[in-house]
Amino acid sequence: MLRDITIGQYYPANSPIHSLDPRVKLLGTMVFLISLFVNDTVYGYIIATVFLAVCIKVSKVPFKYMVKGLKAILFLLVFSAIFTVFFTDGKVLFELGFIKITDNGLIRGAKVIVRLIYLIMGSSLMTLTTTPTDIADGLEKAFRPLSYIKVPVHDVAMMMSIAFRFIPILTEETDKIMKAQMARGADFETGNFLKRAKGMIPLIVPLVVSAVKRAMDLATAMEARCYRGGDGRTKMKPLKYKGRDYTAYIILAVYLGTMILVEILL
Amino acid sequence: MFGKKKKATASEALHLEKPDYTHIVSVSGLVHEFVDTDEEGKEVDRFRAVDNVSLDVEPGDFIAILGHNGSGKSTLAKHINAILMPTEGTVYVAGMDTKDDKNLWSIRQQAGMVFQNPDNQIIATIVEEDVGFGPENLGVPTDEIWERVEKSLNAVGMIEYRHHSPTKLSGGQKQRVAIAGIMAMKPKCIVLDEPTAMLDPNGRKEVLATLRELNRQEKVTIILITHYMDEVICADKVFVMDNGKIALKGTPREVFSNVDKIKGLGLDVPQVTEIAHKLKKKGAEFEDGVLTIDEFVEQLEKQLKQQPLQQEKLRLSESDSIINKPNEQTDVENVNTADNAENIIMTLDHINYTYSADTAFRIHALKDINLKLYEGQFIGIIGHTGSGKSTLIQHLNGLIKAESGRLLFRDKNIYDEDFVMPELRKKVGLVFQYPEYQLFEATVLEDVMFGPKNLGKSDEEAKQTAIEALKAVGADESLWDKSPFELSGGQKRRVAIAGVLAMETEVLILDEPTAALDPKGRDEILSLINNLHRERKITIILVSHSMEDVAKYADRIIVMNKGQVAYDGTPDEVFTYYKELEEIGLAAPQVTYLVAELRKRNIALSNHVTTVDRAVRELSGVLEVSADA
Repeated sequence: MLRDITIGQYYPANSPIHSLDPRVKLLGTMVFLISLFVNDTVYGYIIATVFLAVCIKVSKVPFKYMVKGLKAILFLLVFSAIFTVFFTDGKVLFELGFIKITDNGLIRGAKVIVRLIYLIMGSSLMTLTTTPTDIADGLEKAFRPLSYIKVPVHDVAMMMSIAFRFIPILTEETDKIMKAQMARGADFETGNFLKRAKGMIPLIVPLVVSAVKRAMDLATAMEARCYRGGDGRTKMKPLKYKGRDYTAYIILAVYLGTMILVEILL
Repeated sequence: MFGKKKKATASEALHLEKPDYTHIVSVSGLVHEFVDTDEEGKEVDRFRAVDNVSLDVEPGDFIAILGHNGSGKSTLAKHINAILMPTEGTVYVAGMDTKDDKNLWSIRQQAGMVFQNPDNQIIATIVEEDVGFGPENLGVPTDEIWERVEKSLNAVGMIEYRHHSPTKLSGGQKQRVAIAGIMAMKPKCIVLDEPTAMLDPNGRKEVLATLRELNRQEKVTIILITHYMDEVICADKVFVMDNGKIALKGTPREVFSNVDKIKGLGLDVPQVTEIAHKLKKKGAEFEDGVLTIDEFVEQLEKQLKQQPLQQEKLRLSESDSIINKPNEQTDVENVNTADNAENIIMTLDHINYTYSADTAFRIHALKDINLKLYEGQFIGIIGHTGSGKSTLIQHLNGLIKAESGRLLFRDKNIYDEDFVMPELRKKVGLVFQYPEYQLFEATVLEDVMFGPKNLGKSDEEAKQTAIEALKAVGADESLWDKSPFELSGGQKRRVAIAGVLAMETEVLILDEPTAALDPKGRDEILSLINNLHRERKITIILVSHSMEDVAKYADRIIVMNKGQVAYDGTPDEVFTYYKELEEIGLAAPQVTYLVAELRKRNIALSNHVTTVDRAVRELSGVLEVSADA
């Protein structure tokens, strides 16, 4: 039941997007997200749609994987859409008691939904085409300058990649503990919120205990393999920009430039 | 910065260099004390885990350190890797004192360490990146990391998995990756702390074969810490630890000559060694420390030749009467149950189950399972990892629902809409592997009360049931108010079993209840289960990959393979197929192989022999020594 979460799931394929440097993809995702907010015109949305569609096509990731990620935020989508629709002033189209639906409200509601969907799809595309280790490496290198002002960049990146490594292990463990408690008559599904929250204790306590034990074991194992932080470490797979990474940067710049120009000119 | 850096390029020459030390590891007068302090830092308790231990390891040796849990063997191992510092005494690794801070990283590079839990020591999400982790930490240049990773993965036979995710590998494969990760640091010595405790027999074999190979081919010194006796037979030297001290040392043969002493230390000896020892006590002529089946057969035949008449008589008398002699109690019980339809407690009727049914990863976990389980049986289910045995038992208490087929509990189909599932969960208790992971309450007693309370019992009633269950598993009253997390591994497991028993279970299913326990803990849990079976008349379903355990206690064995029932019968019936069992990755108890070998040489033994005691009894007859001595 917990295996449906798609965030952080890598889809292995051999595509130009997969082989890009993770830093390019991280920046690309940022650029795409920003572009959604700087441009609020119809043309803007069309350009963004085309850009996203082309990226998805090139990445060879099946479209249904993108949609899967949306399920998780379905509630958020509906919620923000309703809020925007109900609480925007404009020409009233429909009124019932305190509920008012306006033309501006509908338009803004639609925009909010499209933006949120694109936001999620854009980030999913990045996580689906980049291995967790690469994401961590990319972040580490991209934020390296911050380490001069004592930000523990290496440590955070190491923590991230370890977290990714342990997600499947802890997911499986959750499943197992849940079943073990169910065999002792525990009930995780029925009852009101309070009862269900209380019912989680037999699941959460053992899970935390085990996670702490794993963390301690892992720390010992890392020390035994001479890990002592980022200083003096070399990389098996150092990040190096290649020709296609520069091309990608140019495409990104052109895309963002067009979006800004369209917003200003139209 | 590091001594090894300049050597790194001359990788091949590494082992040919003349070392400036004679012992790769030299421990003298080592004492390690764990000190418990209270909040103010005042000492409240002091525990001497290692007590005046001295040992020397020659370069290229294969050393085994044996001992039960808590004997101090893991503490000793952590000293060799400089994870712990001596309280007294000294530890030298490759001529470097572990107390000297500046040696720390060179020591850890020279003496790599592999731990028990395969999941908790793999750092990266891709196999090759994990193997590269050590060299990265040592600051090895990128090109050389790739070389080392490839060489190490080749050495442990895992090169084809280099791009895989560790989560998808078996336990044995993960441990081989962990070993490769150490090899990539070019150590002179590898210390392994119970590397096989959490693995199935196949995984154990894989890991041991890898270690032997590395020892022979790469001349790496191996220090293997274990409580499995059969793993140490190939060692050059064996040290047995007890109570922080070295209790026995010598070659495997020397050590195994002390069968009684080893048993007294809570450890096992190989089955042939035990049989030879017991026969010797009865007056037969065996040398001390018989280690292999071949040795046993040779010595037995020598004795038979000395009594020619005897031999003649026996060879001729290899009659059907012996072979068909019923296997005492087990068969009697089968007669009682097998033909009595009223005693059927569960019926599995054409059960099918598929994992991830709607995806490309679909696995047919169970294929058309038909079984009748009888009340009062002690059933052993065996099968290698992935054979479907875990899926099968989860069906039995409704945690997994079959895709098709019927599952009857006392004539009621549990898939009928009006079936009360909680009632089934109450009657059919399931103890998962490593059940101690389900403990969560503040005290032992409250934890055991969790089940009965879920059944709607009042606190008082739940307490009564819990107390009864705790008594049944032999958990001492002094433990009841303790936190379950303070208990030892074996105690935790007892409490966890009590937690399931308190559901007023009629059928108790246990999934690998002895996993990662030492021989003493294992025997305690197994005899506890056997008592529950005999005294409380609980039907037991024991899932295990230890054939020895199953053969000793079960009266019926079900062998699972590829989601199907491969064999179903009494232990002696099933173990007659020992060759077929081997083909599907299982092994019959060693005694089965011994008996088969002896029968091949026309020595009259029945094929019902599946336990040490039975073998001793029958062989006593052959050798004409007193069977009752």
